[in-house]
Amino acid sequence: MEISARQVQKFNTRKKIIDTAYRIFSEKGFSVPTSVIAKEAGVSHGSIFVHFPTLNNLLVCLLSDFGDKMGRSLHILAKKCDSLEDLLNEHLNVLEENEAFYTRLISEKNRLPDEAKSTFAFIQSTVAFHFSSVVEREIEKGTVKKLPVHMLFNTWLGLVHYYLLNREFFAGFNGPVIRKYRGELLSTYLNLIRKS
Amino acid sequence: MKTCIACGMPMESISDFAANDPSKDYCVHCARPDGEMQSFEEKKENLTKFIVKTQGFDERAAGKIAEDMMRKLPAWKNYFN
Repeated sequence: MEISARQVQKFNTRKKIIDTAYRIFSEKGFSVPTSVIAKEAGVSHGSIFVHFPTLNNLLVCLLSDFGDKMGRSLHILAKKCDSLEDLLNEHLNVLEENEAFYTRLISEKNRLPDEAKSTFAFIQSTVAFHFSSVVEREIEKGTVKKLPVHMLFNTWLGLVHYYLLNREFFAGFNGPVIRKYRGELLSTYLNLIRKS
Repeated sequence: MKTCIACGMPMESISDFAANDPSKDYCVHCARPDGEMQSFEEKKENLTKFIVKTQGFDERAAGKIAEDMMRKLPAWKNYFN
């Protein structure tokens, strides 16, 4: 099927809006008006509503893209590896790549529309799914302490989120937190949960 | 690459598919032991239990997440109309 020039233009405009919204939300938070996104993307304000009738649609689209990316990379790894360290490293890779966006997400989550909140919950459930499959194998092998899976998962997430939410103390206002603390976060967490 | 119509999981290798059958549209986690797809009620209950187990959420909150998740998946579209 031949793709018309109009369809290509439509696709490009949609992509421009998504890329710009991702950058602006990461920098300024999710309450930025759509008019600012339109201006930065170089498209008319009306054209945002052609592609995304509500701000919620735009947010859900961005979150779903992020969730798909996270899901894909963890899925591939979780299937072939028995090492929690490798899985957590990959989790940190995706977070590092999207650090500003993810930090906004966890700090403003409670103010997001319900559908966006649920999309965020799916993302964390996907991470929890892969985490549990690997950690259960490690518990079975006797390399990780026999603790409830949800506490193992929440302890990891709590640790990482604490650093991200306090990035101005840990890494200066715009400094990357994951890059600076990756080794310490990983080794400390693994030392806490591994059997000696 | 196919994704499971009942939970959204990517299905890449044969072992991801229900009954190791790549013609199926649902994954190994959404199948009953006989290879048939779980019902809406079974899937919701299993997802809720899984969320409680892996994230420790309150059961009602987990049930809501499970339902919201299923709302977006093709297998359960008719249950939300």
